[in-house]
Amino acid sequence: MSPAILGLGLFTIAPILFAIFLSFQKVQLLGGIEYEFVSFRNFARLATDDRLWIALKNTAEYVAIVVPAQTILALILAATLNAGIKGQNIWRILFFLPTITSSTVLTLIFMWIYNADGLFNQALAWIGLPTYNWLSDPQVALKGIMIMNIWSTAPFFMVIYLAALQDIPRSLYEAAEIDGANGWQQFRYITLPQLRPVTFFVVAMGIIGTFQLFDQSYIFSGGSGGPNNATLTVVLLIYQYVFRDLQLGYAAAIAFLLALIIIIVTLIQRRIFDQDPT
Amino acid sequence: MIYRCLQFFALLIASCLCIVSCQILTPSADQGISPLGQGDRPVTLKLGGWGSSPAEQRLFQKVLTTFEATHPHIRVKLETVADQYMDVLKTRLIGDAAPDVFFLDSFEAPFLMSNQVLEPLDAYLTPDFDLADFETTLLAPFQQDGILYGLPKDCSSLALFYNKQAFAEAGIAQPPATWDELLADAQRLTRDRDQNGKMDQYGLGILPDLARLVYLMRAFGGVAIDPQGKAAFASAAALKGLNLIVQPYQDGIAVRPPDVGANSGTEMFGQGKAAMVIEGNWAIPFLQETFPDLAFATAEVPRIQDQPGTMVYTVGYVMNRQSSHKSEAWELIRYLTGKKGMALWTGGGSALPSRQSVAQALHYDRDPLRSPLVAGIKYATPWQLGQYPAAIMNSFNNQFISAILAEQPLQQALQRAQNSANQQIQAAEQ
Repeated sequence: MSPAILGLGLFTIAPILFAIFLSFQKVQLLGGIEYEFVSFRNFARLATDDRLWIALKNTAEYVAIVVPAQTILALILAATLNAGIKGQNIWRILFFLPTITSSTVLTLIFMWIYNADGLFNQALAWIGLPTYNWLSDPQVALKGIMIMNIWSTAPFFMVIYLAALQDIPRSLYEAAEIDGANGWQQFRYITLPQLRPVTFFVVAMGIIGTFQLFDQSYIFSGGSGGPNNATLTVVLLIYQYVFRDLQLGYAAAIAFLLALIIIIVTLIQRRIFDQDPT
Repeated sequence: MIYRCLQFFALLIASCLCIVSCQILTPSADQGISPLGQGDRPVTLKLGGWGSSPAEQRLFQKVLTTFEATHPHIRVKLETVADQYMDVLKTRLIGDAAPDVFFLDSFEAPFLMSNQVLEPLDAYLTPDFDLADFETTLLAPFQQDGILYGLPKDCSSLALFYNKQAFAEAGIAQPPATWDELLADAQRLTRDRDQNGKMDQYGLGILPDLARLVYLMRAFGGVAIDPQGKAAFASAAALKGLNLIVQPYQDGIAVRPPDVGANSGTEMFGQGKAAMVIEGNWAIPFLQETFPDLAFATAEVPRIQDQPGTMVYTVGYVMNRQSSHKSEAWELIRYLTGKKGMALWTGGGSALPSRQSVAQALHYDRDPLRSPLVAGIKYATPWQLGQYPAAIMNSFNNQFISAILAEQPLQQALQRAQNSANQQIQAAEQ
């Protein structure tokens, strides 16, 4: 028991406590480490930091679009695969490939695809849609990352849905068929309610993952969060404050804000999912 | 009482973490460094820098090998940081694991100089080192309160690169000497060859980045930062200067690299999508290697308000104040920034020497491609933004792009950027 407590204490509890300690300090790092207690000044600064609000807005927008989109896409992909189409295994591998590719590599490949003369714009032009400057137009830069992430994370949740779908007893569908329910009614009144706990898991993991968006926007913008702060996320901002500006205390305060937001959103979501389906 | 307990607990944890991290670090810190007093064993110096093209890396390694041959008591271990050099370097300085000597961009110098992590070099200078031989615009970035912390290893200035074939096609005989001529030429050079409504060649390629623009502000008496280190570019003078590239862009005779699917100004120029670009000497070897058929020439940046102006970027060698081999570290810096070492390094052609005597010895002041660049160093604006450069540069670049895309008036963009930068600086200083 004691090694477990020691491990947990050293690598989980101690860093959390140390982060709490840091968030109340102004830390001088270069040329001799010094701590200065500043009480709630770091937290007061949160309210006046424009870039933090931009980062929160970007992150919230990202979560609000990516989580529903990837959840619905994952469900559709899983339902399609579960319906027993031909070459099921090949489709499964094809769908799953983006998820096993490193996100860094994916981002670099997508930056080629998003190039002004790249594949994506050529495809858009071919079907007669307007083309965009995906990498440097502040209006669409974040959307580019959204598309990329929906495409690459949906298959992961698809696998989870697929496992859950195969767990739903056949007898439920047979009974419904005898009662004269059509395919859509079966999906709506059997599949969806049966998948409820899994959907909670998928949405919760999706929210936590998307709130922590970092690597894609870091690579996309070369660490700056540009163009015009369009790809600045909360975690990228924390990174900038720690490693660029060496303001450890303030960065810890932002990290706490982020943790608080994720906890609150998850609690709200639990409340919603706990309600009885009517 | 509760506060005391918390503080005690926090300190306890902090010290636990310190002990753990020290135990991990201690053995590696001693590796490869011979203890003091054993004079017969060579001292190993760590030299930190960033990577560049393979050709430059080979050349630099050759310079270091030459140094080792003439200084048998010193071995140099080159530590190359592949990406995000300053982030890595700052972290290593905090962890007392930084190299003895390292590259430092003039842009990042004020922050490190004021944080007392660099060794002042004045005491090491000897008359035969000939400090006066360095260009003063290149020494100034490494001085703070009259103390010298670094020596410029080389520099790059900006000049006008123009496509000779495009000029001949448009019937332009001479490169533009003034900004008005530049704009008139850009108008004639903007062409839609296949008449599909999309330009195939733009007159001027631009980069909307503060690093390339400060001299435009200065032409009208504007500045990027005030003497207190706060952003000060939201002035009528700076606005006038910046309009020199905003207007042509909005008129459709200037273009940014992403608009034409290029990654850089030099690439856009090499591909013929921009007939003129204002780029640095790094463009010369790049263009010659990547676009061997391209006929191009250089000229000094056109005069604005009848004043010459350009930007100069420099990188210096600095010494870590924590280094345990300071005299050997100085020997290395003295060699690399000395007349011999610098001639060997800048003879490769990708960077310009920071010593006037070396520029003359290499005949760069008479080289048709490089002489406009060398001439620019004298009147150039060094690229430096005070202690909080990232806040100023990012705020500016973010707002400036939206102004150039006509999403907001330039005046408003500059004011917003200045407020945002100064707010960040104020928050960081309190």
